[in-house]
Amino acid sequence: MKKLILTAAALLALGSATQAQETVRIATEGAYAPWNFLNDAGAPAGYEIDLGNAICEKAGLTCEFVINDWDSIIPNLLAGNYDLIMAGMSITDERRETIDFSQNYFPPDPSLFVAAAGAGVDPQALEGKRVGVQGGTIQAAYAEANLAGANTIVAFTTADQAMADLAAGNLDTILADGAYLEPVVAASSGALEFVGEDVLIGDGVGAGIRKDETELKTKFDDALTALKADGTVDKLIAQWFEGRGPYFAE
Amino acid sequence: MDRFLTELGLFAPAVVFNLYFAIASIPLGFILAVCLALGKASDNVLINRLSRGYIYAFRGSPLFIQFFMIYSLALSFNVGVWKPMGISWWVLHPLFIGPLVLTLNTGAYTAEIFYGALRAVPRGEIEAARAYGMSRSQQFRQVIWPNLIRLAWPAYTNEVVFLFHATAIVYFALPVIGQQKDLMITAKELFERDYNAFLHFSVAALYFLAVSLVVFFLFGLVYRRLMRHMPAGPRMRYAPSWWR
Amino acid sequence: MSDNIAFWLSYLTNGKHLTWYASFQFTIFAAVFGGTLAVVFGLIGATFKNSRFLPLRVIGSIYSSIVRGVPDVLFFLFFPLAFEQGVEWLVASQVCSPEMLAAQSAAWPPCKEANWLLGTPEYLVLASVSLGLVYGAFATNVIHGALRSVPKGQLEAARAYGMSASQVLWRVHIRQMWVYALPGLSNVWMLIIKATSLLSLLQIADIVLWADRLGAPNFLPAVGLVHDDWRWRYYLVLFVFYILVTWLSEKGFDAIMKRAGRGILSEAR
Repeated sequence: MKKLILTAAALLALGSATQAQETVRIATEGAYAPWNFLNDAGAPAGYEIDLGNAICEKAGLTCEFVINDWDSIIPNLLAGNYDLIMAGMSITDERRETIDFSQNYFPPDPSLFVAAAGAGVDPQALEGKRVGVQGGTIQAAYAEANLAGANTIVAFTTADQAMADLAAGNLDTILADGAYLEPVVAASSGALEFVGEDVLIGDGVGAGIRKDETELKTKFDDALTALKADGTVDKLIAQWFEGRGPYFAE
Repeated sequence: MDRFLTELGLFAPAVVFNLYFAIASIPLGFILAVCLALGKASDNVLINRLSRGYIYAFRGSPLFIQFFMIYSLALSFNVGVWKPMGISWWVLHPLFIGPLVLTLNTGAYTAEIFYGALRAVPRGEIEAARAYGMSRSQQFRQVIWPNLIRLAWPAYTNEVVFLFHATAIVYFALPVIGQQKDLMITAKELFERDYNAFLHFSVAALYFLAVSLVVFFLFGLVYRRLMRHMPAGPRMRYAPSWWR
Repeated sequence: MSDNIAFWLSYLTNGKHLTWYASFQFTIFAAVFGGTLAVVFGLIGATFKNSRFLPLRVIGSIYSSIVRGVPDVLFFLFFPLAFEQGVEWLVASQVCSPEMLAAQSAAWPPCKEANWLLGTPEYLVLASVSLGLVYGAFATNVIHGALRSVPKGQLEAARAYGMSASQVLWRVHIRQMWVYALPGLSNVWMLIIKATSLLSLLQIADIVLWADRLGAPNFLPAVGLVHDDWRWRYYLVLFVFYILVTWLSEKGFDAIMKRAGRGILSEAR
């Protein structure tokens, strides 16, 4: 009986394991436009989806995007539910302790403070303010380390939820990736503005990958290098970030 | 063993938040429930309909949805209402909106319990009170209420435990402010760090179990006091009830 | 006016909304499958609790009291994780060779080949099983009580007809038990329905996740319709949906109870 259960379990796992070798599953959040979002068809779309597909094509892999909440995206990678994370995740030393990263596919880019226009928020002297971040991001860690003493740090599950609270006046400012905020500020027709100086954290955005997946990592990195060299990456950045950059080519 | 003890220590600040949510919403929910139960028993058609509808809606939908809905609803009133009143920072704070939603929710469940008890109050006693010439409020305070609370107490105990368990999902639906993290968020964060589900979730479960037992014990003491006039009154067992 | 209607019609039937509508299947599946399992676990648990064999009785009681002492959401999160790790450990003990174990640099699973991939279908089944386990404990108590409510005379009469113990159990005891168990089971069912709102915590793209994604404010025309925070409207839809399901279930259970109660003394109801 025990043998039977074991065999059944083994078959079950092997079945999904062999399936896994055919398709590379890439996790994304689907709530961080224009990096990744769910389009009108209900499917993942955005810079990372286009780039991921281009890389997979180059590397001869079949890829599939899956949606996973941001706060459990690393544990579920470790658990082997998917093989890669492409979710606007910045490369940091702290994350490097648990997972590996591909080379970056988005150059290091400053994080920015955004506030309602004319609210007079001064990030150089933030005190008694409500600062919104997305929980588990580099900005959350930065705010916790540098701003927590004199301000209230409010952590949200998605960046969009934080934006909703900022729009409704429940936050004084949000600290987030510049490339996430800039299209929003541009589209707000003057309702939102950047305040203060940029904060440079992280080594750019890369794909998260389990430490034991060296083969996949090499394949991914090689394809990414080739796409950087032939300008595809910069073209996609220009397409999704509306000519803003930053670009890899000087 | 050492690891286990440190783990218990890590969760100690977190359980305070669950206790706060429960303790803040129990008295308010109790008052709301009494009003709703009387409303449901009322002869006034409007009050009756409203109370019935409220109880039905809040018992018939998940607390999780109620949290999301009420938070985003409160948020949409922020610019127009809370800001001008200057209470925005507090109204949208999880420490306010958490107990608020829990109160609205438990109020409905408790009202149903109280309403059931109200209907079970022996008719003879009410008639006797009326025969004594008691006014309506006297009847309520001296006859109906003491009966009601004794009848409802075991089920109410159970509801309080359900409420305490419901505090586990507050921070799944609301933003987390600074280091204000409850048992579930703490367990989840620790789990996300070292992927040891067995340790972290068991310790959180232990805290929930311990508080549940304390609730059963304390409410059992109250029940014994409520029933002290009964000869060899029915002792309330610590066995939880299974209705909600 | 008609332009407006056409616009809203096309907005509410775009792919994103259609996916949302389709995701109701996950909720319904979890409720139905979880509910069925709860009754199964409830029957097993009640049999254990009624057993003449002490260890089984203890197992039955521990199962029902531990689960009742812990929030459903905690168990709901814990069980799939624990089950996954358990299966991987089992598989690892069969398929991992020493070389594979040595090649593994991550903390878990023991070797790469033992990894078990969880997608939406697997999560959905695991979520339903954990719903079944949690509310099976509730059902255990309900069924245990109902088994005791069946009049002793009925069982004695069955025995007097010369039925064997298992015949008495299956043909008389359990058949009669349902009438007494139905009110309690209907309560358990209502709890299960409400617990299905937690599916998104297990990475299932369920109705709650889509309500959040659809309602979240959008600022970029490239992403879709630009709108403010509309979340509460979407949650209101779910709120009403759950109330409707509760209402329908109530009607359904009333009808079943009426039917099941035929020929049974009214004290049972």
